[in-house]
Amino acid sequence: MLTTVVGSYPKIPNRPRPARLRAAIARLERGEIGQDELRQVEDEVTIEVIQEQVEAGIDIANDGQIRWEDDQTYLACRMGGFTIDGLIRYFDTNTYYRQPVVRGAVQWREPITAEDYRFAAAHSPRPVKALVTGPYTLAALSANEHYGSFGELVLALARELRQEVLALEKAGAPIIQVNEPAILKQKEDFPLFRQALEQMMEGVAAEAHLCTWFGDIEGLFPQILELPFSAIGLDFVMGPANYEVIRRASFTKKLGLGIVDARNTKLETVEQIVERIRRVSDVVPLGSLYVNPSSRLEYLPRETAQAKLVRMVEGVRRAQEVLA
Amino acid sequence: MSKGLLTTTVGSFPKPDYLARARNQFSLGKIGHEELAALERQATAEVIRLQEEIGLDILVDGEMERGDMVAFFAELLSESMAIGGLVRSYGNRYYRKPIITGKLHWQGPMTVEMWRYAQGLTDKPVKGMLTGPYTMVEWSFDEYYDSRREAVLDMARLLREEVKGLVEAGAKYVQVDEPAIHTRPEEDFDLAVEAMALVVEGIDCEFHTHICYGEVGLIYPDMLRLPVKQIHLAFKNTDFEYLKLLEKHPFDKDKDLGVGVVDAHNHVAESVDEVKEGIRETLKLMPPERVWIEPDCGLKTRTWEEAAAKLRVMVQGVREVRRELGIDG
Repeated sequence: MLTTVVGSYPKIPNRPRPARLRAAIARLERGEIGQDELRQVEDEVTIEVIQEQVEAGIDIANDGQIRWEDDQTYLACRMGGFTIDGLIRYFDTNTYYRQPVVRGAVQWREPITAEDYRFAAAHSPRPVKALVTGPYTLAALSANEHYGSFGELVLALARELRQEVLALEKAGAPIIQVNEPAILKQKEDFPLFRQALEQMMEGVAAEAHLCTWFGDIEGLFPQILELPFSAIGLDFVMGPANYEVIRRASFTKKLGLGIVDARNTKLETVEQIVERIRRVSDVVPLGSLYVNPSSRLEYLPRETAQAKLVRMVEGVRRAQEVLA
Repeated sequence: MSKGLLTTTVGSFPKPDYLARARNQFSLGKIGHEELAALERQATAEVIRLQEEIGLDILVDGEMERGDMVAFFAELLSESMAIGGLVRSYGNRYYRKPIITGKLHWQGPMTVEMWRYAQGLTDKPVKGMLTGPYTMVEWSFDEYYDSRREAVLDMARLLREEVKGLVEAGAKYVQVDEPAIHTRPEEDFDLAVEAMALVVEGIDCEFHTHICYGEVGLIYPDMLRLPVKQIHLAFKNTDFEYLKLLEKHPFDKDKDLGVGVVDAHNHVAESVDEVKEGIRETLKLMPPERVWIEPDCGLKTRTWEEAAAKLRVMVQGVREVRRELGIDG
C-alpha cells in the first residue's frame, strides 16, 4: 500500500505563519513585483508543501499545484485557441474558476508543466507524481465557441494534451495522473471518453493513473478498466456506491482509494481508515492500493490538510499491520 | 407610499474608512468592543441618512457590524459553530470557512439590536437581514451532523427564532438570503424550500429572498416554490437574460419580483436611461405593483461614493418611470 495525494494543496497557511503566496500575488497585481519574484515565492512554497507531505509520511508526493489558479486555466491559458472568461462554480463546491472559452483551434505550443515537475522532483526526497487535467474534463468545463461539436473539442484536446503527457514523460515523471472528474456527470459520453483517452495515452510508457472525484463509477464499471491506465482513482467519500460497484467484476488494475474526506475538516479516526481499506481489501490486494484523499486538499485550511495526511498515513500503517 | 416600483437594497453597504480601520484594530486587539460598537452605530446612522436622502422606500441597517455573511452568524453561534482557517474561493481570494461543531441552536438575538437601533433613526420601514439556512450550512464545514439535511433543518429552526425576534421588535420585512441555493439543484432544492418554510411559515411579516447570480436557470421555475413574498435576482449582471426565463414560464402571480438594475460588482454607475430601460423591459412581463427595484447584490464591495452614485441613478430612473406611468411617487 502506498500513500499519495490527488491534486492541489492549500496555498497559504494560517496565522501565525505568513501567507507569502497571497501577499506576493497581491503585490504582483499592484505592480510592486514582477513575474520573476512571484516565481521565486512559488518555488519556495512548492518546496514547503512537498516537505509537509513528506513529513506526514506520504510515499508519492506532488507539487501541490501551487502555480495553478485552478485545474483548467493553468493549461488553457498556455495553449492556443483559448481565452479566459468570467467566474463559474466548480461542480458543487464554493470554489470558482475562470471559464476557458474555446475561440479557435486548440493548440499545444510548448511544455506547460514539465519544468514544474523537474523542479518538484529535484526538491523532493520522495517520488513526485505529475498531473494533467484530462481532455474530457477540460472540454466539459470550458465553453466551446469554435468546434462543431463537443466531441470534436474533446478529441482535439486529447491530441494536444498528448504532447504535454509526452513532455512530462520525457522530463522523467514516473507517474502521470490524468484528472477526469467530469465524466462522472455525463456517463453516456463514455465511448467518446474512451476514444479520447486511448488517443492521448497511446504508447505512453510512464505509469498512468486516471483520477475521478465527486461521484461514483456506477455505469462505467467494468468498462473503465479497459482504458489505458494502470491505476484508477475513485472518490469513496462523495461516491460511497464505489464500494459496491467495484465488486461486480474483477478489479484488474491498481486502485486509487480516496477515503479521506478532502472537503470536510472533520478528521477521520485511524479505525475508520482501517475499516475503509478493509472494505476493499478482498477485491483489490493491499499491494495494489494507493491510498489518498477523496479529492484535492485545497478545500481545507492548510493545517487541516496536513493533519488529514498525517492521520491517513497512521491509518494505512495500522491497516498494514492488521490486514496483512 | 407609492403603488409600484418600490425601491430597496439587497442589504450590505460599504463600511466607511474609519470603521474599516477600527475593525482591523479590533482584530489586532488594539481597541475594545465598546469602541468598535460605537463606530458601528455611527456608521449605521450614516447609512440610514444616506438612504433617506436618496429616497429609498424600504431601508436596511447596512450590516456595519458584519463581515462575511456566514461567518458573522457563525461567530455568534459560538456553542455550535467555530471559525475555521482560510480557504481559497477563487484567484487570490480567501475566506474563513466556519465549522459546525455541535447541535445548532439559537443562543439569543444576533441582529435584533442593530435592527432596532436603525429603525429608531427613521420613519421608513427597515428590513431585517438574515443569511438563509441552506447557505449557512453549504458555506460551512460540518463536523457534527450525519447529513446535510439534518444540519440545514436545525439551522432553519434557529433562524426562525431570530425572525421571531425581529418581528417582535417590529420588523415588517425580513429578507432571508440564499445565494448558495443553486449549488445542487437536482439533489437539494426540495430541502432548501423545506428549510425556508421552517424559517418563515406562520410568522406575520413580509419575507423576501435574494438569489445571487449563478445557475439561476437551473432553479427556475422551481424557485417559485420558496414560501416568500418577494424573490430578488441579479438582472443587471446578466443583461436582463433572466427575463427570458419569465417569458417561458410566468412568474408566480402571488409573488413580487425584485429586479437588480445596477451591477454591484463594478465601479461605474449606470446611466439613468439604462436603469429605465431595464425597468421598462421588466414591466412588459410584470405589473409595476409586483416589481421592486434594487441593486443586483449587496453594495459592501463598492466605495461609499460608488454605492451612493449607483443608488441615486437607480432612484432617479424609478422616479422617471413612475412619472411616465402615472404611479404615485
